[in-house]
Amino acid sequence: MKRLLSLVVLMMSVMSLSAQQLPDVKIENAQGKIVSIRSVAKGKPMIISYWSITCKPCIQELNAINDALEEWREEADFEVVAISTDDARMKASAKTIASSRGWDFICLFDDKQTLKRAMNVSLTPQSFVVDANGKIVFSHSGYTPGSEQLLFDKILELKKKK
Amino acid sequence: MKRIALLIVALAAIGSASAQVQFGEGQVSGSLETNTIYYMDDSTIGDTPEDRFGSNNYMKVDYSNGRFTAGVQVNAFLPVLQGYNDLATGRKFYLSSKYIQWQDDNYELLVGDIFDQLGNGLIFRSFEDRQLGLNNSLEGIRGAYNFGNYVQVKGMYGRPRLYTEYADSWVRAADVSVSLSDIFSMEESLFNIEGSYVNRNQSLALDNMIDFGMAGLTNPNLNMYSARANFGWRGLSLRGEYVGKGKDLAAAAQTAVAGSAILGEVGYNYNTFSIMGTFRQLDNMATRLSLYDSGIGNTLNYLPALTRQYTYMLANLNPYQVNTEGEIGGQVDACYSLRSEEDRYRYWNMHVNYSTFYTLHSYQSASGKSERLWQDFNFDVERQWNKQLKTIFLYSFQEWNPYHGYKHRTYVSNIFVGDVTYKFNRKNSLRVEAQYLWSDEYEGDWVAGLVEYSMAPKWSIFFSDMYNIDLTKTNYYSGGFSYTHNRTRVQLSYGRNRAGYVCSGGVCRYSPAYTGFNLVLTSSF
Repeated sequence: MKRLLSLVVLMMSVMSLSAQQLPDVKIENAQGKIVSIRSVAKGKPMIISYWSITCKPCIQELNAINDALEEWREEADFEVVAISTDDARMKASAKTIASSRGWDFICLFDDKQTLKRAMNVSLTPQSFVVDANGKIVFSHSGYTPGSEQLLFDKILELKKKK
Repeated sequence: MKRIALLIVALAAIGSASAQVQFGEGQVSGSLETNTIYYMDDSTIGDTPEDRFGSNNYMKVDYSNGRFTAGVQVNAFLPVLQGYNDLATGRKFYLSSKYIQWQDDNYELLVGDIFDQLGNGLIFRSFEDRQLGLNNSLEGIRGAYNFGNYVQVKGMYGRPRLYTEYADSWVRAADVSVSLSDIFSMEESLFNIEGSYVNRNQSLALDNMIDFGMAGLTNPNLNMYSARANFGWRGLSLRGEYVGKGKDLAAAAQTAVAGSAILGEVGYNYNTFSIMGTFRQLDNMATRLSLYDSGIGNTLNYLPALTRQYTYMLANLNPYQVNTEGEIGGQVDACYSLRSEEDRYRYWNMHVNYSTFYTLHSYQSASGKSERLWQDFNFDVERQWNKQLKTIFLYSFQEWNPYHGYKHRTYVSNIFVGDVTYKFNRKNSLRVEAQYLWSDEYEGDWVAGLVEYSMAPKWSIFFSDMYNIDLTKTNYYSGGFSYTHNRTRVQLSYGRNRAGYVCSGGVCRYSPAYTGFNLVLTSSF
C-alpha cells in the first residue's frame, strides 16, 4: 500500500496543466481501410467517443449526440468520431450496429485496442474534445443522460477562441 | 476499512489533479485503475475469505515526444482479489509492461512488451484484460514497414508473459498484407490479401517428469499459419480466414494433434438496414504459451465465443463457453432503424440475432453424433418516443448444453427484459429495468430489477436485485453510486454477488460469490 501511495504522490508532484496531443495511431474505418486518427477530421475540431457493444451507456451517449447533432452543427463546424473497441468477437456486430443506427458520424474500429491503449482509456464510455490542431482539450468518463451537452459546450468554447 | 479509506484519499487526490504533464517538447500521460473489495460475512453464500481485503491496482505511464514514445505499467495486488489466485498469491507488486517505440511515416520499431494481433487472432493475440486477469504480451522486438499503401510487412520475436512471470518459450511471428485495391487503383472498393506465420519454440526436456513423446509430441517447434482475404464494395463486405496448426498438445487433449480453423463473414448494409453473417469452425485450436503450465492466462491465440454479449443480468447468467476442441457454427445479426423525417428524437431501432454451435468430432459426444452446444435467438426493439421517453423490449431464447456436447441434453431459458428511461430535464433522468427468466430446468425461474437515478454529468445512484424463485431462493442485491469528474470516475457499491463465469477469448474465469463493498476507480491524465 505504501508503494502505491508513493507512486501516486510521485505522479502528482510532477503534474502541470497542458494540452495533450492526439497520438499518431492508424486504425480501421467503416470501409475496412486503415486511416490515421490525426487525419480523419481534416483539420476540424472533433468529439471522439469510445464505445463497445457491451457498453450500454456508450450507445446511449452516441444516440443522444446523434439526436442533437443537427442543432449543434448549425452553431459550429466539427466532426464526431465514434471509436468501437470491440475485438474480433464483436467487431462484426459493432459494424452492423454502427451502419444501421443512422449515426451521422465517422465510425472507426479499434479491434486491436492500439488507440485505446495509446489514449489511456481504461473505462468506456470515454469522450474527448480535440481542437483543430489535434490537441486534446477536454475529456470525460462515463455517461449520464444530458452529459453530452458538456462536450458541445467545449466545442463552442473552441469556436469562441478562434 | 482503514486501507479502503487510505486508498480512496490517495486516488481521489490524483483524480482531482487530472492533467497532462509537459517535459520540454514531450508529454507524459497515463491512467490509474483500482478494483478494491472489502469482504463481509454472509452465511447464505458461504465462508468469508481469510483476508477480508482485496485490491487489484494498475498504473500506466507513457511519455511521447514527436515520433518517440515509451511507457511502463505497474500492477499492485494488495492482496489479489478472490478468484484471481492464479495471478498471484497474496501481495504482489511488479512491472507488468514497458516499451520504447519509434514510429516514422513508413516504418515502426518497438522494443519491450508487445500487444498485437494477427488477422482475427486465431493464431496470435497478445492483449491485456484486467477483468479476466490476463496479460500475455510478448517481451521482445517488433518491426513493421509500409511500402506505400500497397504492402505492409511486420515481424516480431519475444518471450510471452505468463501471469506475473514469463513462459519458457519463444514466439516469432511474421505478417504481410497486400492491398490489391490500391495496387490496381480500385478506388470504390477494398480488396486485401493477407498472410501470417507464427512459431512457438519450447524445449521438451525442461521437466523430467513429463514425457511429451508418450503423448506424440516430439518437435519443440509449433508452426501455425493463416491466409486471409477481405473484400468490400459499396455496402457489401466479405471476409475469410483459413488457419493451419501443427501437432500440439492442447490443454484438453491427451495426445498431440494438429489443428485448423475456418472463419467466413458476409455483410451488407443499405441506408439504415444492416445484416452480417459469420461462420466459424474450430478444430483443436487451443494453443498454450507454455506446455508446462495451465490456466486461463496460458493462451497464445484468441478464440472468442461468437454469440451475442448482453448487458442485462439475466441474459448473461449462463454464457456460452467456446469449445476449442471442436465446434462448428455461427451467428447472424440484422439491424434496422426507422426514423422520423421531421423529428430526430423519434425513431425505432430493431435488432435480431441468432447464434448456434455444434460439436465437430464424433468423439466429442457419447452418441457419436454432432450435438448442439448452444443456441440463442433474440431480438430487441428500442423506441425513442420523444426527447423525454425511451423504451426497450428484449426477448432471448437460449439453449445450452451443460455437458459440453457429450450428452444429448440441453437446458432452455426464455428471458424477457423491459427497460424504460425517462428524462425529467437536461440533467435529471430515471432508468428502470425489469427482467424475468422463465425455465423449467436447472435453477428454474429468476426475476431481476434495477432502478438508476442520474444527475448529469457527475452523479448516478442505483439499486438492483436478482432473485432465484425456484431453487436457491437467494437474493443478489446491489446498491451504490458513481461520481465522475472529467477523466476520473469513482463507483462505490455494496452487495451480494453471484458466482459465475467471466469469459473472453475462449477462456473463462470462475468468479466466486461474495458479499461486500466494492470500490472501482479509474482516472487518466
